[in-house]
Amino acid sequence: MFGLEFYVDPSRCIGCQACLKACEECETHRGYSMINFDFIDRRETTATAAYVCWHCDDPTCAEVCPADAIKKGEDGVVHSSLKPRCIACSNCVMACPFGIPKMMVPEQQMMKCDMCYDRTSAGKRPMCATVCPSQALAYVTPEEIARRREKPANTFYFGKQQVTSKVYLMMPAGQESLSIDVLDYIWEG
Amino acid sequence: MKLFRPSGTDPLWRDEFSIFKAEERYVNRRQLTKFLTLTSLAMFTGNIWIAIRAWFHKDPVYPIRAVAGLEEIPVGGVKIFDYPAANHPCILVRTGPDSYAAYSQICTHLSCAVFYSRDQNRLECPCHEGYFSVHDGSVIQGPPPRPLARVVLERRGGELVATGMLQG
Amino acid sequence: MAKPPAPVETLIEQYGPHLKYTPEGGWQEESRHPADGLVKTHCCFCGQQCGIQLKVRGQKVIGFEPWEEFPFNRGMLCPKGVKRYMQNSHPDRLLGPLLRTSEGFSRAGWEEALDFTVRRLTEIQERYGKDAVAVYGGASLTTEKSYLLGKFARVALGTRHIDYNGRLCMVSAGHAYKAAFGVDRSLMPWSDIPKAQVLLVAGANIGECAPITTDYIWRCRDNGGKLIVIDPRFTPIVRNADLYLPVRPGTDLALLMGMLHVVLRDGLEDREFIAQHTVGFEAVAESVKPYDPRMAAEKTGVPPEAIERAARWFAEADRAIAMHARGIEHHSKGVENCQALINLCLATGNIGREGAGCTMITGQGNGQGGREHGQKCDQLPGQRSLQDPEARRHVAQVWGIHPDEIPQPGYTAVEIMEAIHRGEIKGLLSICFNPLVSLPDANFTREALEKIEFLAVIDFFLSETARYADVVLAGSLHEEEEGVGCTAEGRIVHINKAVDPPGDARTDSAIICDLAHRLGKGRYFPYSEPREIFEELREASRGGIADYYGVTYEKIDRQMGVFWPCPSLDHPGTPRLIEGGKSFHPDGKCRFIVTEWRESGDPVDEQYPVYLTTGRVVSQYLSGTQTRRIGGLVDIYPEPRVEIHPRLAEANGIVDGDWVTVTTRRSEITLQAAVVKTIRPDTVFIPYHWPEDRSANRLTHRTLDPHSKIPEFKVSACRLRKAQESA
Repeated sequence: MFGLEFYVDPSRCIGCQACLKACEECETHRGYSMINFDFIDRRETTATAAYVCWHCDDPTCAEVCPADAIKKGEDGVVHSSLKPRCIACSNCVMACPFGIPKMMVPEQQMMKCDMCYDRTSAGKRPMCATVCPSQALAYVTPEEIARRREKPANTFYFGKQQVTSKVYLMMPAGQESLSIDVLDYIWEG
Repeated sequence: MKLFRPSGTDPLWRDEFSIFKAEERYVNRRQLTKFLTLTSLAMFTGNIWIAIRAWFHKDPVYPIRAVAGLEEIPVGGVKIFDYPAANHPCILVRTGPDSYAAYSQICTHLSCAVFYSRDQNRLECPCHEGYFSVHDGSVIQGPPPRPLARVVLERRGGELVATGMLQG
Repeated sequence: MAKPPAPVETLIEQYGPHLKYTPEGGWQEESRHPADGLVKTHCCFCGQQCGIQLKVRGQKVIGFEPWEEFPFNRGMLCPKGVKRYMQNSHPDRLLGPLLRTSEGFSRAGWEEALDFTVRRLTEIQERYGKDAVAVYGGASLTTEKSYLLGKFARVALGTRHIDYNGRLCMVSAGHAYKAAFGVDRSLMPWSDIPKAQVLLVAGANIGECAPITTDYIWRCRDNGGKLIVIDPRFTPIVRNADLYLPVRPGTDLALLMGMLHVVLRDGLEDREFIAQHTVGFEAVAESVKPYDPRMAAEKTGVPPEAIERAARWFAEADRAIAMHARGIEHHSKGVENCQALINLCLATGNIGREGAGCTMITGQGNGQGGREHGQKCDQLPGQRSLQDPEARRHVAQVWGIHPDEIPQPGYTAVEIMEAIHRGEIKGLLSICFNPLVSLPDANFTREALEKIEFLAVIDFFLSETARYADVVLAGSLHEEEEGVGCTAEGRIVHINKAVDPPGDARTDSAIICDLAHRLGKGRYFPYSEPREIFEELREASRGGIADYYGVTYEKIDRQMGVFWPCPSLDHPGTPRLIEGGKSFHPDGKCRFIVTEWRESGDPVDEQYPVYLTTGRVVSQYLSGTQTRRIGGLVDIYPEPRVEIHPRLAEANGIVDGDWVTVTTRRSEITLQAAVVKTIRPDTVFIPYHWPEDRSANRLTHRTLDPHSKIPEFKVSACRLRKAQESA
């Protein structure tokens, strides 16, 4: 939207959790932080990763929703479930290959990152990408991201399922997609 | 945004319940209310228009036309003529030596042409057995809902002249 | 005198810290009642001084909005900046003065509280002399307030003892840079960092202590730059370092001298630069002769090849930048460490060019501004020396007093506490400082506070130190008073007022001026607003090193900050210093300074075989008075843990999560262990933001650098023992 795209680069993340704290300050879902943040293995390393929803082109969460409650807009943003329709069945929570949707039990609604829709639909940047001090989460033009050594990729393989997303993952140059299943790498004659 | 499923191969339910907002055929309350309101408004306006038109409707002016000579047709005979204009056939009947009657020939039921039955001395419509009185054009039997329009005749000189029409 | 007036638990129940999780009125309140407006200002926390906008409704700060136009941080913030607005409308906020009673604190009126303060200070001075009273300031005060406090101590109180919590922060770097260049400021704007070919980061946990600088470093790497990190811990930025030197605590000097040795041995020095722009090279070259890589490796625990490579990368680059922070400065050799790093930059000609130079990363919010205009015990406004007759004459004239009335230099921060402990100083007025948590050897500080005859504290929350006070004067938060600050870059920025102090709290400058009036010196403090203080400050700093004469609030707003020196109104400011190699010394040359090795002040031995180093976490700020009251920040890292390498843990029978007692020659505390591979196996780390029995500073020692008087926080000797469950 407005010529800007979302890029995620976990190698730049410093684990400050500014994204997590800023996420709950946006207007669309005040009080709830939608970022998925992990210490990869604190005993071994200070490596951390923060992820937002990947806003898949063919969102698995929307596909499996029995109540037709999850919609993907024309600008590509996949929204939290529509409150009048959501039945809190958690199908989407289980189906998403990235583990993004969160079931908010007190509200009986699935909520997830919607790219701070109140901000991005008006041409502003999402909270997380605005505050991230290392720009591991970045919402910039493709020209800006081209200055980095890593290159954006948005194709993932989970076994037989191919997922392409609106949000890009920064990968080493030359690597066009990310495969999760070891079966994709082995040779079976 | 549908990148991976060529259109046309979708089952109907996918089409009806699309997960892509752009392809939704979902009508929301606002859209429905808008539709109802606008349609009602259109109909209301239409009615007002019709009412205005009727209010300003002028009485038609009828021409004076010679229909036939007094002795042109025998007693019990008929003459078909057009009055007031070329597309409106009428029927003149000599009911007696000195009495004549003329009516619109268009049956008021479904616009068939009525004819004069000498035996029964009445105007009959062949389509649905509708009978009209030859004295005043009223409906004797059958489906016609209204009497035949009557042509006003005058004797001028030795002729019968049509001067107007009376609707039934 | 005496202990706090009520048990700690009672005081905590009444005055906190309590955790605030939601904004005023709840999370949905702002959707129902949108903000009245946005106030552009800067963060109240660290020296990066990120630009931020505060959402204001009525007299409350209800949220924040990134300020993307401010060029330094371009909208970026760390979690402290994101949540800082929650300190406003906080339940623990002091809404009026407090006076100590026999059971606790009770609310008092301003007349009573101020009169009491002045009466006690005057009594002590009349009985024991002017210097029996000291003033503590802080580096989070605006520059106007730092200036005001310096003037207050010298003109209103007439004491020579005024110092500040920046004594625990920037003084080593300050002393070293002053000696080498004649100026104490970052030599370059941050925009130079992406232009360097090599970045040497020494003793700086940038990812956690100066997060916004991370993006500058990543961009330098995007441009092909190489990153070298010197740190005993594998901090977040080390993950992307091209070369990591895990230096043994207390041995940075050997490492830096070893690097210079390699540069000179291989003839990689910039002879032209040395000849044209420096003095003192020969003595320094001689001093590093014994520091061959092997010798340095033995002292530091860093492989000789790594030392060689680091030195060669730094010297062979066209443009290299050295950045450093408390990791090399919090030592009894802190000044020498900085001087060795400066020597390295001078020898390789990496000074005063775009993309080349050295810079200290100022830690505290106004650590730069707060060390320029007289809040230090030996300093006058304009970064001038208190002992310089010309400076004394100029400032005395601005103040309207006789130069002889300006006292001579006094004690530094730790020395003041030591003087209180031995009874030489009997009264203390403290603002923006929480010494019970921040000073080393916390038990010693506690004893001193129990002995002091009179303690007055100006603060907005009841800090751990304020619990010992006789009177607490309710002061103002960062967003409640206008002023300027100076960022780590040397950029003067405008702090805007968003709201009035709540309840009966007053602005800090109003309190200080009121005290001055009651001390009979009102005619020297005629200010009704910060702008008037700034006008006088401009005049007082005129002609000095930190020349603010050409700076106005409007100019700062127009230019998005002004770099000092800015000697006249049409001068645009000076982003890069020492350009062309010209220093601020009278002869215009930069100085090589000889550094000499000595052991740290608390050496390891058989009794205390493990190195203890202390530091910070990203979610807390300094003594935690503000950040330990914000729920979202406490959630990130709730309790201090002691980081132990698995090898060391195993040797002591400790697994992750065990309670471990860490003992030093001063005291012991018991914390849960975090067994991680990201630290040297001979070292443990404890963050210091917590008080009482979780306070890392109970363990640290009061050895000071002889020049800068900074405490040696970064290296102590300790031993570990697995404990039973903590009480």
